[in-house]
Amino acid sequence: MIEEFSKFPGIGKKSAQRLAMYLFRSKDQDFQKFVDAVVALKRDLHSCQICYNITEKAICSICGSEKRDKSVICVVEEASDILHIERANEFRGVYHVLGGVLMPLKGIYKEELRIQELLERVKTGNVLEVILALNPDTEGDTTSLMLMKELERFPLKVTRLARGIPIGGDLEFSDDATIGRAMAGRITVK
Amino acid sequence: MIVRRLTLHDFRIHHSTEMEFSPKLNFIVGGNGQGKTSLIEAIYFLCTTKNYKGAPDTDLLRFGQPGYTVHGVFEDATENNVHIRFLADENRRIYIKDGKTVHRAADIIGAFPVVLLTPEDHALTQGAPADRRKFIDSVISQYSSVYLDNILEYAKVLKQRTFLLNRIKENPGRSLTAELDAFTEKMILTGSAVIRQRDEFLQEFKSFVEEVYQEIMREEESPSMHYQFLEGAAPESDISALFRQKIYARRDDEIRRGMNLTGPHRDDIDFGINGKSLKSFGSQGQHKTFQVALRFAQFFYLKQRSGKTPVFLLDDVFGELDAHRAGHISRYLRQVGQAIITMTDLSNYAYLREMNESRMFTVSAGTVTPA
Repeated sequence: MIEEFSKFPGIGKKSAQRLAMYLFRSKDQDFQKFVDAVVALKRDLHSCQICYNITEKAICSICGSEKRDKSVICVVEEASDILHIERANEFRGVYHVLGGVLMPLKGIYKEELRIQELLERVKTGNVLEVILALNPDTEGDTTSLMLMKELERFPLKVTRLARGIPIGGDLEFSDDATIGRAMAGRITVK
Repeated sequence: MIVRRLTLHDFRIHHSTEMEFSPKLNFIVGGNGQGKTSLIEAIYFLCTTKNYKGAPDTDLLRFGQPGYTVHGVFEDATENNVHIRFLADENRRIYIKDGKTVHRAADIIGAFPVVLLTPEDHALTQGAPADRRKFIDSVISQYSSVYLDNILEYAKVLKQRTFLLNRIKENPGRSLTAELDAFTEKMILTGSAVIRQRDEFLQEFKSFVEEVYQEIMREEESPSMHYQFLEGAAPESDISALFRQKIYARRDDEIRRGMNLTGPHRDDIDFGINGKSLKSFGSQGQHKTFQVALRFAQFFYLKQRSGKTPVFLLDDVFGELDAHRAGHISRYLRQVGQAIITMTDLSNYAYLREMNESRMFTVSAGTVTPA
């Protein structure tokens, strides 16, 4: 068990031991709840047919919600990114999980990503804006560049997340490269 | 900024070495293989988190020992303690600045500016273009983390794109044009930023080299430098547009050879003396003078950019300069800041001893003694 836990991302040997001991000492009913949840994870969860978010139903709660604006699609790398954006409670549109970014060295090309699926959604003509919310690293940026080109032929707005100084982060505590980039990408206010 | 103290344990040939430096000139005298260069190496290591020789930690460790420690005390308006520790068992090296572990070189940028002049500097003017790129990259990175970020990112793009070009070459059937276009655009974006920053730097740096020639080296000759980028583009051109035009023009060639053929990774700098190419027509003496001038210019440039006076490390270079010039340079260095100078033999430079506030050490088999 300890060995299995230590395969988890971010879990070292000591944490794995703690988790295993916790399970061992837990009450029978708590333990059963955990086991059921683990079994259900693989049995009941799959990708949403529209956006590829993780869901128990055919269509995820975001795509299925009438309150969400279907004309705005936010493109993310992984389903876990949706959780991060949802936490902010700011975005009212829907998502599209790309399933990764271009990485030739790891054998990930355009075909390995859900780009065709995104284009199919856009082709319906109901989409007014696509927001590219990929991580701002080399591969994420490159993938955004490719998506921008693919989306060029559609009459819609394409935006990407702003980058710069974090909220509540003092200039004093931002690293120089971040300040440099925020300066380069500054916006006009007057 | 100055290095006040240096302590080494089981680093290279040094078992246990402690040194107190003068804020002005420090001479370290010893024969070959006695441990002079390791002292320079250690100071540079503390200032940059990097070993300038690119040696693996196991090479730095004194033979048969469990680990090494390098400790330095830097003085500025404040005092900074820097430790580098390596444990062979864990094969792990840690860099600690004032009690806090530093994980990225970028986090200490500008904190401890340093300039190093070594015999290997002949590569600056006589070596390959890659040696000159390495020089400008290391100077700019010492004050600009945005630049450091850009060159690291550019290197990543090159790696992915090289792999992609080779895939296309091997599988002509599969269309990977969209992918190649995307990496090409990313390369243009990042690469153009690198070119612009290099160009700006060299424009300013040029006048520093000219000044060093006149003021310090007292040379009649006049130096020049021309930045060569994108196959000889004019400096005032629209860099991104030109880059795009050139890179798309060579696409077939790139795929055939499986290589990135255009971009700042192929940049060079043409150095000249009195209007003639140094590389083609320079004498050994002219090369040497130019290399020293580049390092002095780096010193003054960093001083101006960072507002701190760098530590000047001169490893075994006096042997190649005549006594007159070495004396002149020493007197000049003394006025501007701290220098740590190694030499094999003092006989020709006995007069250096007389300078105020200078300190002398001798090194023998890893043992340092104040002289």
